[in-house]
Amino acid sequence: MMEKLYLVARIADTRVALRSRAIHSVVTVGTPVEVPGAPPHVAGLFALRSRVFTLVDPHVVIGLSAVPVAPGQRVIVVEVAEHGYALLADEIEDVCFIEAPETRITGKLLPGWARVADAVIEYQGASLLVVDPSNFISLPTLIAA
Amino acid sequence: MVKPQFLGRTGTAMDDLLNDFLAETAEILAEAGGAIVAWEADPTDRAQLDAIFRFVHTIKGSSGFLALPRVTALSHAAEDALDQVRRGNRAANAALVTGVLGVLDRLNELCAALGQDGSEPAGDDRDVIGALVQRAEADAPHEIAGVPLRREDDLGADLQSWRSIRVPLPLLDSVMTGVTDIVLARNEFARMLRESGADLSLIASFDRLSDSIAGMRQSVSQMRMQRIDKLFAPLPRIVRDLAQELGKKIAFQTSGGEVELDREMMENIRDPLIHIVRNAIDHGVEPLEDRVAAGKEITATISVSARQSGNQIEIEIRDDGRGLSPDALVAKAIAARLVTATEARALGPKEKLELIFRPGFSTAAKVTAISGRGVGMDIVKANVEKIGGIVELRNDEGRGLTILLRVPMTLTIISGLMVRAAGQYFAIPRGAVREILLESGDTVRIDRVGGGELATVREEQYPLLRLETILGRERHDGDDVDDRALVIVRPGQGQSYALSVAAIHDHEELVIKPAAPMIMATGLYAGTTLPDNGRPVLLLDVQGLLAAAAIDASEAGRSRDRTAEAEAEAVAARNAAQLLLFRDTNARIRGIRLSVIERVEEVPVSALFESAGRIQAQIGDEIFPVHAAALPGGQGTLKLLRLYDGQAVLCYPIAEVIDIVRLPDAVQPSAAPGLVAGVVLVGGEPVELIDPFWLMEQYAAGAATALTPRQPLCRLADDRDGWGDNFLAPILRSAGYRVIADGDPSDEAPDVLLCLTGDDALCLQLAGGVPVIRLRTSIAAAGPEDETVYRYDRQALLDAMRRSVGGAGK
Repeated sequence: MMEKLYLVARIADTRVALRSRAIHSVVTVGTPVEVPGAPPHVAGLFALRSRVFTLVDPHVVIGLSAVPVAPGQRVIVVEVAEHGYALLADEIEDVCFIEAPETRITGKLLPGWARVADAVIEYQGASLLVVDPSNFISLPTLIAA
Repeated sequence: MVKPQFLGRTGTAMDDLLNDFLAETAEILAEAGGAIVAWEADPTDRAQLDAIFRFVHTIKGSSGFLALPRVTALSHAAEDALDQVRRGNRAANAALVTGVLGVLDRLNELCAALGQDGSEPAGDDRDVIGALVQRAEADAPHEIAGVPLRREDDLGADLQSWRSIRVPLPLLDSVMTGVTDIVLARNEFARMLRESGADLSLIASFDRLSDSIAGMRQSVSQMRMQRIDKLFAPLPRIVRDLAQELGKKIAFQTSGGEVELDREMMENIRDPLIHIVRNAIDHGVEPLEDRVAAGKEITATISVSARQSGNQIEIEIRDDGRGLSPDALVAKAIAARLVTATEARALGPKEKLELIFRPGFSTAAKVTAISGRGVGMDIVKANVEKIGGIVELRNDEGRGLTILLRVPMTLTIISGLMVRAAGQYFAIPRGAVREILLESGDTVRIDRVGGGELATVREEQYPLLRLETILGRERHDGDDVDDRALVIVRPGQGQSYALSVAAIHDHEELVIKPAAPMIMATGLYAGTTLPDNGRPVLLLDVQGLLAAAAIDASEAGRSRDRTAEAEAEAVAARNAAQLLLFRDTNARIRGIRLSVIERVEEVPVSALFESAGRIQAQIGDEIFPVHAAALPGGQGTLKLLRLYDGQAVLCYPIAEVIDIVRLPDAVQPSAAPGLVAGVVLVGGEPVELIDPFWLMEQYAAGAATALTPRQPLCRLADDRDGWGDNFLAPILRSAGYRVIADGDPSDEAPDVLLCLTGDDALCLQLAGGVPVIRLRTSIAAAGPEDETVYRYDRQALLDAMRRSVGGAGK
């Protein structure tokens, strides 16, 4: 059942279906603490329930320019390799079961999206990119290395 | 969506049993190795033999239950061979010891395979077992047939009797993480409570919760502590094997095994320690003929000792080998193209020694199989520094080398200095901070030289790093130039620099967690922490900042004549007395010389008791006097300073340790000798200085009798019914005599003979010139000439003893 559960959101100016397996919760953040010297997709640190989370800006991962974090902005909290991260989200739509199967991506995507997107899925009459949220965190690090 | 947590290998009950078996066996094998080497040194040591026998017996027992035929067969063979020795049917010799060690090695291999695959690999152990059995036949041609003895009979000291339980490490770690989270949550809650202006009763009850959380954190940190014994356990075996291989004779000793260390730190220093010990055997200790030529004893000594000082652990590895030769080191470094001849000439004595820490340096003339495995002292140093420790060399050329590892006791909670730069806060580990100065202060001069900056503090030069520049940020507009401060940072031995920050904030105890890998990868940060204000703070990596700024912070050669001076200063600083500041139980701030403190103990209040008119404390298996007028009431724990004068221990109860500072030169002595030797000013505050001399003197009397080097020996003669041994001996011992019974084979001549029989002739015959005191059973004397003493007249007896021996008794 969990495999079919997706979080539909707009991140990096694109509507996507995020696989929910790694997603912890959706919360709002205040002003994050900057991390000087960190890679550009690191938007800062913030504390949530006495844990420190690293805020990642998907815009930068996709190859767009960074967006400032507005207080009260919603973020998607994910856990990758025992570290807590949060993805900046432009808009959160819904958490839902999508029965349609994931299909192979046809057509050419922007290079940034081609790196993170795994598949395409049909949802309410539209095609959405299926993205594993952990891709936004682990991929840029791999590329940098 | 929470990820399930696996605690070790879980699944079936069988898996649990196997895990327990593996953990227990690993522990036993490590200990057995050391015990066997000790036994080999002294084959008559029955206790060691019994211990080893118990070890293999335990392995055999558990493996039989788990159906591990190879393990069972191996341990059975070793048990058999050892049992032959125990019964005197077989002599303990090097061949037997090697055979048993061979079995232990094979068991180790099997356990490793078991841990990986969960099942015993197929294989043949006849080679190892055969080695043991063959010898048995050759050594013991006749085996006494007869009634089989139950071997379990004399397994009195069962391993199971330890009052402890086995807990999987991941569980322990998860408890630690949990408690750390609770502390952080408490901090956040405390902040919210303050901001909300909650009423006093609410705050009071929160404080109570807060206190119990603090207590719990303390206990959990203690749970992670392990005796450093564990780290030392494999060393005797390594020394033995290596010494044998190289044909060297080495006596190996360890001390301070009761010192405790966070298990994570332990993991991190295991390899460096083993490497240093191997190095000492391979390179440090000379071949036999060289030792003879140098007029040294043939048997070299290597000792490893641990001691706690403040919240650091010092591990000292000392050998009496050839030491390091600075000139040879330099020659080798030049040959290896690590330094040029010109550079080499500029090196001070200490820097020459530290060449061994350069990557690519190997002191051995040729790469040997033992230490020359491409792992050098550079890796040792890097590993120790990674965990915030330092490596120090104390060289005595021709007479030996001492390597000192100094590591923090625990990783997770550190004392940090909060600083501000570019409008945000950063933390610096307090341990690396040497001094804090205002940039605008009189003692500081800042010069711009060729684009770089230099800070000169009291004529000492430091490269200057501006935190904003390293982090690639602009200075914050709101910062006041007058607040700018210099933090003199010492990231490691022989390095220092001045870090310029916008302002200094305060000190805090910080719970450090690793930051996300991409943040750690910058090399600028050592972790994150969450202080009370709820905003995450980055902990700066003081070594990483140096690398990022690409400057050479080595103190060496900053000015030629300064090197020697710095050296002298370092020596002076080492020799300079350090003062431990603490809060007394009556809330007064006092200080005591650090060097007289063996360690700080935390004991439950219940460990203190009153006996014979003085307060004593039970710590572990020992009892020490405590300097206190009355038993402390209440419950919970108590901190004790353990003072040690080389012979006796005295505990001094305190409320808390405040700091360690340099003992000021000026002491205002007190008028009369007493607990307080005088008053010193520390940071402008008067501090009472405890006089350890006076303190020890008060308690020395009781301890002294036990330590008199030569106690008179008293022999009990004709003690037929055991009265002497049961009733008399304890009184004599407590009066300072050593007592031996009739049957004791010791051939040391007694100082006095106590005759418990009425038979005068027998007494005289037994005495042989030694003074005799005869005891009688009837209270009344037989006549005025009767010199016997009534056996229950304690005073008369002790008087008589004293007259006979001129005695030490009191």
